[in-house]
Amino acid sequence: MGPYGSDSTTIASAACSGPEMDAILAGAGFGTRLSGPCNVTNASDYSLPFNPSDLTTWVDSMLTDLTSATTANLPPQPIHATWTNQICSPLNPIDHAASHVLMAQQRKEEEDSGIRLVHLLMTCADAVQRDNTGLAASLVDEMRVLLSRVNTLSGIGKVAGYFADALFRRIYTTEVPLSTSEYEVLYHQFYESCPYLKFAHFTANQAILEAFEGYDRVHVIDFSLMQGLQWPALIQALALRPGGPPFLRITGIGPPSPDGRDALREVGFKLAELARSVRVRFAFRGVAANRLDDVKPWMLQATQGEAVAVNSVLQLHRLLTDPATTPAPIDSVLEWIVGIRPKVVTVVEQEADHNKPTFIDRFTEALFYYSTMFDSLEGSRPQHQRQMALAEVYLQKEICNIVCCEGENRVERHEPLAQWQTRLANAGLHPVHLGSNAFRQASMLLTLFSDEGYCVEEVDGCLTLGWHSRPLISASAWRAPDADVSPDDSSVIASNSNNCNIIINSNHNNNNNSSNNVSGSDDNRISV
Amino acid sequence: MGAEQEQEQLEKEKEKEPDENEDTMDRGYNLNDNVDILAEIMARLDGRSLGVAACVCRLWSTVCKQDRVWEALCDRHVIGGAGDPGTRSVVAALGGYRRLYRLCLGPALDRLTCSGETTNSDKQGWAHLSLSLSLSLFSIDCYERLEGKQRPASLLFLCKPVNVA
Repeated sequence: MGPYGSDSTTIASAACSGPEMDAILAGAGFGTRLSGPCNVTNASDYSLPFNPSDLTTWVDSMLTDLTSATTANLPPQPIHATWTNQICSPLNPIDHAASHVLMAQQRKEEEDSGIRLVHLLMTCADAVQRDNTGLAASLVDEMRVLLSRVNTLSGIGKVAGYFADALFRRIYTTEVPLSTSEYEVLYHQFYESCPYLKFAHFTANQAILEAFEGYDRVHVIDFSLMQGLQWPALIQALALRPGGPPFLRITGIGPPSPDGRDALREVGFKLAELARSVRVRFAFRGVAANRLDDVKPWMLQATQGEAVAVNSVLQLHRLLTDPATTPAPIDSVLEWIVGIRPKVVTVVEQEADHNKPTFIDRFTEALFYYSTMFDSLEGSRPQHQRQMALAEVYLQKEICNIVCCEGENRVERHEPLAQWQTRLANAGLHPVHLGSNAFRQASMLLTLFSDEGYCVEEVDGCLTLGWHSRPLISASAWRAPDADVSPDDSSVIASNSNNCNIIINSNHNNNNNSSNNVSGSDDNRISV
Repeated sequence: MGAEQEQEQLEKEKEKEPDENEDTMDRGYNLNDNVDILAEIMARLDGRSLGVAACVCRLWSTVCKQDRVWEALCDRHVIGGAGDPGTRSVVAALGGYRRLYRLCLGPALDRLTCSGETTNSDKQGWAHLSLSLSLSLFSIDCYERLEGKQRPASLLFLCKPVNVA
């Protein structure tokens, strides 16, 4: 499922201790340069000077203006020296005015450098598209020189640095996929440092909760279990449901663990422990699969009479291919999703168009999207430098995948909400309006998180979370038509499979490792 | 002999009584003798005052650490489902009202009140946090603690200083 390889690095995913973090950061190309406090400047200083809706014409104008690769018009060095000298020495009134002028000049230079960097990025991307490797390489070198003079700790400098690095990797090296444990650590840091994933989880949980009303047996299929951070809130909400909690089953899909440690089972244990403490009858099953299209419906053991919810947070886009190629794996997956007749399918995806066929289009879109994303990361100012650095590495991995990889390796194929709506409707799913409860909860969550910049909007019954009116992530809910009809008998097969069939029943407080465990165990309704 | 002795004793006691009455009247009513009334009073305090009260003496510290005191405080600040016995058992299972307030509600309320440059009526509306949201956040914290993490980090975002620039 994505860029997981069977990497032999064993990095503990739980404790994020110093040396381990350094190892991950070093692997991603980070030195230990991020030692000082982050210089959070006003993002608008580095705002790109174009109208977002006019991106294509702007790019065209940039490309036609630059006819040949010229040497960078570097800002003269002495001004930097005098500016710092001025600041260090005591100022008298005359010098005050002079230093203001110098600061304004400094800012103007950095703006110019920012514009120049973007210019260079576009040209380089165009060169890459035309397979003009020589020109691309020289432009990358030029960018590196310019980056050393620009503030790369924030704003356009930082984003440009990542994209320049990605272009460098595309030209010279092959991208190494992350190991599972590394990816989990980065995901966790990203989860904690900005509200996108929390928003996704809470909105999806709300939709699932509403769809499960009135059902006594419920089954949640999670396309990407990770550490199961989404489910404690659902378990708790079901425990407090008027009328009592139902019998909850969770099927978590995740990549197989390389070092024999059964990560899915451990997460299942923890969820079972939590469910036991709040008296919710619970069963867990883990399905290990590297790709979602390896999962077959019979592995999930959906049974009759239970309400099924399918939850996909940032997973469906990995199943897409180049728009021209058909059939895409997404179609077969959507087919079996509809086949198990779910009461609700919650889909959370990035709100971006990173699956365009031409490289320069993708590059431009990604540049704009991740600039906004990095802005929001700085704006919410996470607790630790390390946490923010790791969240940035998480985003950097996405950027590298979009820029460097092609074909099967490119999994970050984000598509905007409108396209997903069409695709899911064509597969036979009906949209479900997310409702005002979800909206209110999301707004309240954002107020808690940070009171600057984030905005929740409702579009066609779907919720989007964005930064300064640019939506960055969208959440929507769907259901199968005639969802009240009982599912096909063919989906009820208690069979063995080579993947791990683990059912952990919390009421018995023991581990049931037998893969012959029949689903729908009625005898487990013992009140604790 | 019995009746005389009894009468003697009664007279002695009558002599004692006025003295004892004076004693109790001098001492006055001591709140520390009535712990349940003390708890009732504590249940009406806000979070910061409870923390201060817990530092007064060992008795007050014990009373202030009772979960029902914090339950009353939490109930005042949430909308929806408060005081439900089902809610109480779930919160107890997740770690108790005191922890809920300390980790979730307290910082969240601080954040909401200081971020509101709104009118008074709006402030009142915002002072009531949704119970479901706070319990959701709390359950994630409980879940992280199950792993034995020393410092579960999922609620740290609530403690971040708010930029009011």
